[in-house]
Amino acid sequence: MFPTTADKARIPVKLHRRVCLVQTEDAILAEELLAHRKLASEIVGRLADRILLVRPGRVDSVVQELKKMGHTPQVVTDGAT
Amino acid sequence: MTSAASNDQFLEPIERALEAYDEPTLRQVAGKLYRPRNQWPAEELRRRCIETLSNAPVIDRRLKELPIPSRGVLRLIAQSRQPYWPVGSLVEWAMTLGAGDGLEAIRTLLESGVLYPQLRTGGNGLVIRGIETWLTQTSDPQVYAPPFVTQRTLREPLPLDVESLRVEASGPAIEADGLEWPLRLAIVHQQVSANPLRRTQTREFFKRDLERLRSDALLGTQPGESLVEIADPGLLAVGLANAVGALDEQGGDLFAGIFPEAWDKGHAPALAEIYASLWKLRGWTPLGGWDMAADASRPLASATLFALSLLSHLPDEAWADPRKLETWVLSRHPFWASKPPAEAGIAAFLLGLAPTLRLVQTCKLPEGGYAVRLSPLGRWILGMHDAPPAFAEFPKTLLVQPNLEILAYRQGLSPGLIFRLSRFALWKTLGAACTLQLEPTIVYRGLESGESLESLLQTLDRYGMKSTPTPVIEALRTWSNKRERITVYPSAALFEFATPEDLAEALSRGLPAQRLTDRVAVVASEGKIDYKNFRLTGTRDYCLPPERCVDVEEDGVTLNIDMARSDLLLETELQRFAEPLDRGTSPARKSYRLTPASLRQARQRGVTIDALTEWFEQRAGLPLSPAAALLLSTTGESVPAEFHRRLVMHVGTALQGDGLMQWPQTRALIHQRLGPTALAVLEADAEKLGKLLAELGWRIRFEAG
Repeated sequence: MFPTTADKARIPVKLHRRVCLVQTEDAILAEELLAHRKLASEIVGRLADRILLVRPGRVDSVVQELKKMGHTPQVVTDGAT
Repeated sequence: MTSAASNDQFLEPIERALEAYDEPTLRQVAGKLYRPRNQWPAEELRRRCIETLSNAPVIDRRLKELPIPSRGVLRLIAQSRQPYWPVGSLVEWAMTLGAGDGLEAIRTLLESGVLYPQLRTGGNGLVIRGIETWLTQTSDPQVYAPPFVTQRTLREPLPLDVESLRVEASGPAIEADGLEWPLRLAIVHQQVSANPLRRTQTREFFKRDLERLRSDALLGTQPGESLVEIADPGLLAVGLANAVGALDEQGGDLFAGIFPEAWDKGHAPALAEIYASLWKLRGWTPLGGWDMAADASRPLASATLFALSLLSHLPDEAWADPRKLETWVLSRHPFWASKPPAEAGIAAFLLGLAPTLRLVQTCKLPEGGYAVRLSPLGRWILGMHDAPPAFAEFPKTLLVQPNLEILAYRQGLSPGLIFRLSRFALWKTLGAACTLQLEPTIVYRGLESGESLESLLQTLDRYGMKSTPTPVIEALRTWSNKRERITVYPSAALFEFATPEDLAEALSRGLPAQRLTDRVAVVASEGKIDYKNFRLTGTRDYCLPPERCVDVEEDGVTLNIDMARSDLLLETELQRFAEPLDRGTSPARKSYRLTPASLRQARQRGVTIDALTEWFEQRAGLPLSPAAALLLSTTGESVPAEFHRRLVMHVGTALQGDGLMQWPQTRALIHQRLGPTALAVLEADAEKLGKLLAELGWRIRFEAG
């Protein structure tokens, strides 16, 4: 079946919903976080140099651990920080 | 006055109750409320009841027809600023007002359509079959009185003998600034933000918290403007903060909530809000302090409100003796009337909490003791004045010091500013000049709750007497910048585009996203996405269990990914133990292969055979392939394996093989049975076995070479 005119205008995209991410200011900081054993166990992957993918449902423990490490993470929810 | 029936918030409980009434009850209520001349259907009766409640002349006529105790109950509800009350308290008021049967007075109000049963949202399918039945068969029934009805009773005083309460006083009237409790509630909010309060199953605080709140350096101290000791002021502050809605109850525990909007509207609305919450306060009494086990707060609430109402019956300038007021109420209130005690806490309230809330003014009596009267604010709160008194404003009231300390002069504070400061500075002392401290933790919490560096500096500049010192600006900037270093998205939506050009196009069309990679962008909240610009090729929800999206080829080591069903976790998982395979096939499928090298690396990263087995089951719906198990289990370790020279003898049938294995002559010459018709023989034994078999008549043939 051929795409309609409206479909042509639409951009194909794959949506990943309710993803938990940590974005760092630079790649070195991301390395620093991955080197932290307790934190690394909650990270399931590295999407990019500065983007770490957090295990679903573990965000609170990640934020707590970051605070324990002396960081002050900015938690972005519903568009508000 | 509340605008009649225009506010859905006020109408909703009435609509719920009218829906719950069965038809005879509805007709009875409608009959008394607006006296319909026709036999209207139930829906029309409900609609007309609601309409009538906004018809002031009709309501005034109905109120005039009510007996005094019933009308007095409505007046007290209006003066409480709290439309929801337990029937028990209303019965107590009716009896204090002289009704022989207090419940009868309340039933009259319910049947007249000026008071309604309080029902939960949805009503749970409850049908009310008669007012009397509901009153007698409900455990601790609660009612709702529409403010636009109760407020019409305010201007008509009740025939109460209040002259005996008057006392002559000529000294200066003492009036507090009313900021004590807004300050304390803000401190409670600040403390609970840092450490939520846990409670037991009986809704009591744990002993450690009880002791901490009793001895807290700020909350545990007595307010300077109180004339008598306030029992357990720290716990009272927590109770009030909870009653006012500044704390959020979750599973019985208390967390920091949202302050009522009234706090931003000035002194009078904020204090009126705290006043209205007094009647919801449970577990605290002026004499007994905090005691959830022996809670006597409910009869005391009805008695205290009655005492305030008595004060409202006195002329503006008249003083009253709080002890006489207490005696007056206790001798008539059904909870105490049979054996009135010397005191129950009404006078203690009038000289303790009430002055600090700026509800009353006090005056020292020449013979000792104090007289009280409602303050102008108190008279407005109790509905005796139309407008609240004006409060002096001193907008420049903060002195921000280079050592990160803020001096807040109390005369310039307002509830709104108190709450604002509480979001990013720690209260250190309370007094005529309060002190606050800027600290990284609390500034960080402020930034978390929606403040920004700009908004913090704006607040300090707007209310500061001098410009904010540079060290303070620098400290705030440093803390704020530190926060910018790590961003956590707890529940983001990731848009994965097929090409970088598609991502650029989406951003140009206004997708409120931040680019993460050349093809992936993040949106903090899905609510902001306009989906009409996109065609979804796949959706994955990360809070759901992992989806099966991997096919394992026959070789057991080649994995094909269905890209429409895969997720980001899958790709990162695969990278741990497989290598991407470039087959140049459809972009809808991607392939990976398990190799000795990739599995050696996986092993070094801690991937175990159990973990890989679980992954295969989750992602492919299959057990770990034998080839993968082989590669993972042998990688990096020396597994014993030996090569030996053997001749393999093939026989015609399995039975012949069984025979050779059983007959002792041949069994001794067979090294191992490899299968039903295949037997391994050592080269040295082959000739001897051949001879034996030849004797049996077998034809022996050796493979060439």
